[in-house]
Amino acid sequence: MIELRNVSLKYGEREILKNVSLTIKDNTIKAILGPSGVGKSTILKLMLGLIKPNSGQVIIDGTDITCMKERSLYSIRRKMGMVFQGNALFDSLTISQNLGFFLRENMKLPEAEISQKVAEQIQFAGLEGYEDQLPESLSGGMRRRVAIGRALIFKPHMILFDEPTAGLDPVSSKKILSLISSLRNHNNLGAVIVTHIIDDVFHVADSVAVLYQGEIIFDDVTEKLHEADHPFIRSILSDKILEL
Amino acid sequence: MKTEHSKASAPHLTLFMPLIFIRSLEKKLLLQLKNFFLTMQEFFLFSLRSFVAFPKMVRYWRDVLDQATICGTDSIPIVLVSAISIGALLAIEVGNLLEDFGAKTMLGRSTALSVIRELGPLLMGLMLSARFGSRNGAELGAMQISEQIDALRAFGTDPIAKLVMPRLVAALIMFLPLTALSDFAGLQSAAYMAEHYHRIDPGIFWNAVYPRLAPKDFVVGFLKAPVFAVIITLVSCFNGFSARGGTAGVGRSTIKGIVVSSGLVLIANFYVSKIVLENM
Repeated sequence: MIELRNVSLKYGEREILKNVSLTIKDNTIKAILGPSGVGKSTILKLMLGLIKPNSGQVIIDGTDITCMKERSLYSIRRKMGMVFQGNALFDSLTISQNLGFFLRENMKLPEAEISQKVAEQIQFAGLEGYEDQLPESLSGGMRRRVAIGRALIFKPHMILFDEPTAGLDPVSSKKILSLISSLRNHNNLGAVIVTHIIDDVFHVADSVAVLYQGEIIFDDVTEKLHEADHPFIRSILSDKILEL
Repeated sequence: MKTEHSKASAPHLTLFMPLIFIRSLEKKLLLQLKNFFLTMQEFFLFSLRSFVAFPKMVRYWRDVLDQATICGTDSIPIVLVSAISIGALLAIEVGNLLEDFGAKTMLGRSTALSVIRELGPLLMGLMLSARFGSRNGAELGAMQISEQIDALRAFGTDPIAKLVMPRLVAALIMFLPLTALSDFAGLQSAAYMAEHYHRIDPGIFWNAVYPRLAPKDFVVGFLKAPVFAVIITLVSCFNGFSARGGTAGVGRSTIKGIVVSSGLVLIANFYVSKIVLENM
């Protein structure tokens, strides 16, 4: 379970998050909805301990990681896989090297076992024949699938998606959303999805938190979003896609 | 009514304008000073973590080899070109000057001292600051803005151990032979120009080189190589890691890395020479 308790964060004079509290239970999909630049991706980085809040606590499975040192954080991070907005694939490595990166770096597994796990992820992502290609030669949807495969290869409990459908065509977006749903349904994998596309939220999320001007203005099951009376939520429900 | 009020307050405002200007300037300067010390603190910690990561060299030996090829083998042409051209020019100019005093036979000695103590390592340092430093800055900056460095951390890899330490080790290993190569090429081109431009017998030229060189001349020259390696690698990598603001940010951080490391190379060159020559 991931918990954020009264988290506040400032970049210089700019207040990004104000007293944000969130709970993400295991085996559930939580969406964080809000316009671009409001601090949604920052929440994911806080969950991984990539950045520290100015105040408040970040608790992962009962462990407060707020003041943890980088070295101690590595074991916590292994519980979560992250799919970055721009995929963040290592562009000097091939697809199979990208997929096997974590296993080679952090697990003392025999090379044959690593190759087998990589082959499984290649098959899962539907990228047979692309193993030795560099990420730059793949389409946006393929790169996203590699990024998901890379995050899944070490069997995390939770997966964090930063704008999983951003920049993808409608067909690829649908495939990625179906993939996220199937991960929860078949692999019991929880997920946090940061998005500005409201249709994505209704497509996959069990619950949704709406972030507006650094504050959570709504946090409940997705179905109740229609009942919210905050003017910002009313406007996004009518527009469907938030202002970029 | 409003106009009258504005007219009345105008001299009042004019009176305080210099004060407001000084206050805002003071605020700006204080902020810049604070940012400078914060950056210095971050750089110090970054450097410390790079050295602390040295034991991981065994794990990342392939990265060390890759970087050794990039900063060593691949840099040979530019180091040779700069050393040959400066050695040849030095021989022509110094030879002309010595001719006026009837001391052309001293050309070998003066060229050797200049090349081995100063120009060989300095040129090598500046060339590698441009070549190796810019590559580090641009590559790591691009990795930073595309979140690849965050991805490394998210997957439990220390980005300093994986990306900076191999570059530092490779530079420390490769800068010494490159300095030797730079010295050798500079002296050879000087000898060639001495023979073909000033008509000095090679025997006379080299006779003025070998017996006159003292150990301290080599210490001055070769001590600069590891100093430059540390400066160039850490400054360029730190600037790459600090890149913000898209592709323009990568450009800014790369330029900053080259400018700062080149400036520091020039300053370090002076102090290493001064300290060694005064104490040996």
